[in-house]
Amino acid sequence: MSHSQESGGRRLDRRRFLTTAAVGGATIVGASALGGLDAEAAFAEPMDSLDTAIPAAFAEGRVVAMNRNVLDVAGSHGERYLIQLTNATSIWKLRTTTAESIEVGDGLYARGAAMPDGTIAADAVWVNIVNVYVTIRGIAKDRLHLTHGNEELVGHIVPDTTTASYLGGALTADLSRTRIGQEAQVLGAWRPADGNIDIARVSLGH
Amino acid sequence: MIPLVSNLAPLVCALLLAVTGAGKLFGRQTAQLAANTVLVRVLNDGRRATLALRTVGGVELALAAALLASPEALLPGVGTAVLGAGFTGYLAYARATAPESSCGCSAAAEGPIGVRSFARAGLVAAGGVAAAGADAAWWSQLTRRPGGSALVLAAAAVLLLCASADLDHVWLLPLRKARIKVFGNPLPSAAGERVPVAATVQLLENSLAWQTAMPVVRSALLDHWDDEGWRVLRYAGSYRDARGTHPVSVLFALDLTLTVDTAPNPAVRVSLIDEETEEVVPSSVLTPVPVRTALPLAT
Amino acid sequence: MACGSTSLWAGEATWFCCGNAWGSCGSAGTGACGTCQSSKHMAAWPNLSAACWDITRPDLCGENMPRRTCGAVMNVRHQCSGATVCVTLADCGPRTKSFCGEATCCNGACRTNRVIDLTPSAFTAIGSLSSGKLPVYIYE
Repeated sequence: MSHSQESGGRRLDRRRFLTTAAVGGATIVGASALGGLDAEAAFAEPMDSLDTAIPAAFAEGRVVAMNRNVLDVAGSHGERYLIQLTNATSIWKLRTTTAESIEVGDGLYARGAAMPDGTIAADAVWVNIVNVYVTIRGIAKDRLHLTHGNEELVGHIVPDTTTASYLGGALTADLSRTRIGQEAQVLGAWRPADGNIDIARVSLGH
Repeated sequence: MIPLVSNLAPLVCALLLAVTGAGKLFGRQTAQLAANTVLVRVLNDGRRATLALRTVGGVELALAAALLASPEALLPGVGTAVLGAGFTGYLAYARATAPESSCGCSAAAEGPIGVRSFARAGLVAAGGVAAAGADAAWWSQLTRRPGGSALVLAAAAVLLLCASADLDHVWLLPLRKARIKVFGNPLPSAAGERVPVAATVQLLENSLAWQTAMPVVRSALLDHWDDEGWRVLRYAGSYRDARGTHPVSVLFALDLTLTVDTAPNPAVRVSLIDEETEEVVPSSVLTPVPVRTALPLAT
Repeated sequence: MACGSTSLWAGEATWFCCGNAWGSCGSAGTGACGTCQSSKHMAAWPNLSAACWDITRPDLCGENMPRRTCGAVMNVRHQCSGATVCVTLADCGPRTKSFCGEATCCNGACRTNRVIDLTPSAFTAIGSLSSGKLPVYIYE
């Protein structure tokens, strides 16, 4: 058995185990809250999402080198960051993915904890993520032609990934209600090779 | 026909260069435009890049004047051809070394260097070659063959229109709108397809379960999969008890057919699995809500 | 100036990038105030100036937020988690008028209309960039 098959099999086993745990012994919260959590008690106290026992850290920049699970990142204003990726680090690059998809030259934002040795242990890394306000100038089968300020962009439609939200509604794979001339917010992954965008979601107003 | 094109080329080139040159030389946005071009890296300085762009604008204006005033002279035509070849070389270099940079060509529209930028540069070079071969002044050509001249000028205008993004709203957008009206929207309508993962995440983030578990969650979405009608979303988190801080997997299981449109208040199953012991953590760690102090304030 | 706790506004928060950074930020530059950087806790406000108001026009969605100028500070709090971040105004935005009526909710409580744009640094302190928008309360 090849290494990848083996690790794929392990991943499936792990998922199976986690699914059983998630569905089986879970607390149900929501519409049919079966004696789960007391919602009022949960909201009574304002809470903050990050633990201040470990100082929160943020990094922004472009990947200049990768060494196993450490990213060497050059900040846009001359800073330098070493970002550690762990099993608990979420990685977004157009979709939820793994560290293998990160390449030298990619841009990123990372949130995590500052370590005593000066590195950042990342909780979450968003690679090449952009969120731009655009006007739709053209619609083709596999792409949208967009303008962002005075800049022209091509937004590529990625099958099984690109979604749309109309007037704040649920995200849907139905992209057919986009119109030329419409203003929209495009969240996607910037492509360093040509400066265009792979679209994750397009939010359309009225 | 060829002498006619040659003799009118100085006029067409001059008009084009006058517009783009004036835009670069006098435009208020030139500095911002220059900042996004590859010139900044080559010249190592934003101000020098702006100066270079304005200088090119000046050269374009001078060439335009020369082409208009002495269309039969060889030099303005050759100069224009050299300029066009220079533009093409610059674009090729910029595209190879900094593909995301702007071309800075027309002073109005920015954007990654594409086919149109090369087409424009190519047209300038070709126009220069044609202008160098002119054997009569454009004004005498206009009076001698007004019909043919009008045709050539109209064709040149269409070519330039297609190669420039500045006037897209005049012809390209109406054309694209009409095409969609006739042939329909080419994008997928995806009726009856499965709910995208992003829609399930959106549903989770709207739910009481998310609100309850947020203090424990540290990562963004780490993994997801579908199993027997459920969509499981996994996040990394940590909780603290008397023995210290423990890493956990925070698992949410949602009905994979629901979205915020169909289920404003969904039932979500939440489980915490200790990453070290692989044991289910009792949900009591979620209540009472762990006390956390405020984030550091920006200074 | 420190961030306060007097309630100012509520609505959706979105995010944007600025400064001399990668992606589409370069063309945005350092924003209307000339100070904006993605890596700092900063924000864009729809009523930064009269010229800004003309672009964002939140009044068309029924949002008549007061004028706050470059350098003003605000506490932005996630409606659901209570996670809070203190931001400094550095740009004009978001384009409220283009998304009138858009809502973001948690557990049935919804916040309507885009009223503040946060830099990635500020947005990630209270939420996930891939979500794109959050329901927030704003204090000063």
